[in-house]
Amino acid sequence: MPQTEKQKHIRNFSIIAHIDHGKSTLADRILEFSNTVAKRDMEEQLLDDMDLEKERGITIKARAVRIDYTAPDGEVYALNMIDTPGHVDFNYEVSRSLNACEGALLVVDATQGIEAQTLANAYLAVDAGLEIVPVVNKIDLPSADVPRVQQEIEDVIGIPAEGCPAVSAKTGVNIESVMEAIIRDVPAPEGDENAPLRCLIFDSVYNSYLGVVVYIRVMEGTLKAGDRIKLMHTGAEFDTVEVGTMEPFGLHSTGILSAGEVGYFTASIKNVSDTRVGDTVTAAEMPAAEPLPGFKKVQSMVYAGIYPADGARYNETKDALEKLQLNDAAFSFEPETSIALGFGFRCGFLGLLHMEIIEERLEREFNLDLITTAPSVIYEITKKNGEVIYIDNPTNYPAPDEIDVAAEPIVAASVITPTEYVGGIMDLCQDRRGTFLDMKYIDTERVELHYKLPLNEIIYDFFDALKSRSRGYASLDYEFEGYVPSELVKLDFLLNGEMVDALTFIVHQEKAYGRARKIAEKLKDNIPRQLFEVPIQAAIGSKIIARETVKALRKDVLAKCYGGDITRKKKLLEKQKEGKKKMRQLGSVQVSPEAFMAVLKLDDDN
Amino acid sequence: MPMIMTDKKRLGIYIHIPFCLSKCAYCDFNSGPAPDGACITRYVNALIAHMERYRVGAKLYEPNTVFIGGGTPTSIPIAELTRLVKAVKHNFRLTRNAEFSIEANPATVEYDGLVKLKRLGVNRISFGLQSAHDNELEALGRMHTRKDFARSFKMARDAGFDNINVDLMFGIPHQTMESLLHTLRYVGRLGPEHISLYDLKIEPGTKFYQNYDEIKHLLPDEDLDADMYLQAVEYLKEMGYYQYEISNFARPGRMCMHNLKYWNCEEYLGFGVSAHSYFNGNRFAFTPDREKYCRAIEVPGSPIRLTVENEAVEERERLGEYIMLRLRLTEGLDTSEFIRRFGASFDALYGDKLTRFLKGGYMTYQNGRYALTPQGMFISNYILSEILEFEDFGKYMFGN
Repeated sequence: MPQTEKQKHIRNFSIIAHIDHGKSTLADRILEFSNTVAKRDMEEQLLDDMDLEKERGITIKARAVRIDYTAPDGEVYALNMIDTPGHVDFNYEVSRSLNACEGALLVVDATQGIEAQTLANAYLAVDAGLEIVPVVNKIDLPSADVPRVQQEIEDVIGIPAEGCPAVSAKTGVNIESVMEAIIRDVPAPEGDENAPLRCLIFDSVYNSYLGVVVYIRVMEGTLKAGDRIKLMHTGAEFDTVEVGTMEPFGLHSTGILSAGEVGYFTASIKNVSDTRVGDTVTAAEMPAAEPLPGFKKVQSMVYAGIYPADGARYNETKDALEKLQLNDAAFSFEPETSIALGFGFRCGFLGLLHMEIIEERLEREFNLDLITTAPSVIYEITKKNGEVIYIDNPTNYPAPDEIDVAAEPIVAASVITPTEYVGGIMDLCQDRRGTFLDMKYIDTERVELHYKLPLNEIIYDFFDALKSRSRGYASLDYEFEGYVPSELVKLDFLLNGEMVDALTFIVHQEKAYGRARKIAEKLKDNIPRQLFEVPIQAAIGSKIIARETVKALRKDVLAKCYGGDITRKKKLLEKQKEGKKKMRQLGSVQVSPEAFMAVLKLDDDN
Repeated sequence: MPMIMTDKKRLGIYIHIPFCLSKCAYCDFNSGPAPDGACITRYVNALIAHMERYRVGAKLYEPNTVFIGGGTPTSIPIAELTRLVKAVKHNFRLTRNAEFSIEANPATVEYDGLVKLKRLGVNRISFGLQSAHDNELEALGRMHTRKDFARSFKMARDAGFDNINVDLMFGIPHQTMESLLHTLRYVGRLGPEHISLYDLKIEPGTKFYQNYDEIKHLLPDEDLDADMYLQAVEYLKEMGYYQYEISNFARPGRMCMHNLKYWNCEEYLGFGVSAHSYFNGNRFAFTPDREKYCRAIEVPGSPIRLTVENEAVEERERLGEYIMLRLRLTEGLDTSEFIRRFGASFDALYGDKLTRFLKGGYMTYQNGRYALTPQGMFISNYILSEILEFEDFGKYMFGN
């Protein structure tokens, strides 16, 4: 199929980079260089439009923008730049975004070299058949070593990098070489405009006026406003309302998109979960024979209970969760009840970062105070009666005598680290029940370690431990592999003889004792003294494996006279009463939300 | 029975002297060394002028207590002090047996000065001893030794003071149960009429607060601190000092009448920086800034705000205050007096919440009176914040 003139003037590309390697800054420079956005109008890092993303310097949701670029030879090109999330939690979304492109800019920090996530995403791009255009960034920094990083790219990824663009996105140096490389090296899209319609959904965003805005890449055929379409995996049909392109300052309705183009459509769709990332859009009248390959239903890997700190704000919390879900098909929740925490929600996340983002958005955008239970993975339990169940809440873990086989999720993990930290990281992986697979030297200074690791060890503060053992230099990527039988136990905590359901953990037998002791100590340090002594016990079944005591309250007094300053005394008492109002009654014991969170906050000794 | 009938209301007078020789490590009161003598004179002038403003209104009152506190009132020249005492008597018609107290630090008094004060009508002196151990005194940042105190105490007796209080502290750096009991024994043998025993509380803005990490290992822990309190209560009783308030102990009949006004919700009028008043149903306080205080008084019609806090105490709030303050006293809260004052039943309002404290030995109920035991007193914040309702705090309510 020969390319049309239009297709010859289209370039669809993504930018792949590790966090902080300058992806968003480079995207800004490309926009600026193309004169699409006047410099003065441009807010820093235009593509990341959520505050949270700006603060964390990461891109949460994939976004795309179309740029009109006039090359030095006078030809005008439509560049579709598709931004991708740079974190392990969002691998699937990244892979779909990549599938919408013909090329990818691989941005590598000239001072840092390749990191685990860069590598993982670069492999995804290679697998998707993309042309990789390496870009070495941050050449303005004194410690930049361009030849070394270029050599590393050649050695590790196996693509030529000599003479690749070396830029400073920050200062704008050499951005023109990136533009040239995009036009020269990224292939123009192909696809028959007259074939049955097939579009890849790579993202969708809820908009309260338009309904769901679906971001697509047209692979084959032509999509027009008013067309009746069908989503091949969900089977849902809709009438399109608007069809158009994403311009830097908003949506631009063009009424038509044809093979090779990137754009959006709206169709009065209420819920983003109807438009799953990776699904294929086809024409309802004349559907394509096959959907595009690679669709997966995203699955939550990590679960946690989210409770309003003030029980009266349950409905507000529910509304907030619903609003977030409108825009995030990967986030799920359902109501649950905890004896300790009252009414709340069991929420499913792609991973820990995804969970933190949701928590922060709830607190920031909806002004909620939350209590979040410790995250848990999903355990696969084969019962003695042959039934297989999946447990996402430790409280529901069956009694040992009902269990035939208990299995936990295992991931294939890759850690890239400077060689000097290999010892410490291997110890960490060992301690986290990892199975060593192999170790490869990236160059003389850095290695890539491969391990199989239980996911429940990774969610127990693995990132922080990894960072502290490598002074922040090691990076991690992992992929779900499957379930493996494991010696798991359910660890319960009792306060004053009463079990606190929200503190129940599932833990590997070998780890139970240490974990029990640590949490018991934390409880002791964080539970305020009560009128009576409070025994803290950690138990597996009926066996107590750790024990602490919170001594009875003996002192809480304002002894001084303060020269008749009664107001001061009143204020103090009132404040104390205010604090009590927030207390949670765990059986007969009062615990503040702060104390509860301190106990649940996972951290490691190191 | 013959009784002197008077239609004049009783009143307490408090005068704050914000000067001392040096700031102690635990002190968060409005006090500090005076820069120079002129500044003291100016401040005393302001105090006197301030009192004069109340002169007309004060005719309706017959104050029966005066308390000059600080800081260290005796750190200012005796001439200034006598001028101030004279002004009090000039502007207010004190009752014949009015209790007239002055706070003093050991080594800041001279025999002649004490005689002068006694002659002018000051009849009660309160010494800040804090501890009878010089190492503990040093850690507190006190300027005196135990010997200084012994000399000052004898001087006061010789000058004719037959009503003396000694302030002591526990829960302080280096203190042990033994050293505390030794301090109590030492003071008990000297035989003042009144002993105040305060638990150290580390307040923001103090040296202890800043250096908390350095001193915390020197401090008794919560349990030892509570044990110290309970043992001290017992030990003082054995020596004839009966507890009548959380931190106050006295020989029979020698309670501090001025401080009792605070806890009995009676009226008092404060003068000076940061001085608090409860007067005509209002609680108010004056500016903590000495310069502003002086200027506001010196310049008639000055725009400077003298009063920094002012609130009318509403009915329900008065009830809350009453509970909070009465339960500081060993005498406790009389339920029939409560009905008389507020037309409401204490039992009906709060009875349910008291059960666990009665059962736990934190409170007693006898002859229509609820009172905290020493155990209960030492966790009285906890108990009060459990039993009082938000309405009891009046307009401070956080929800407002």
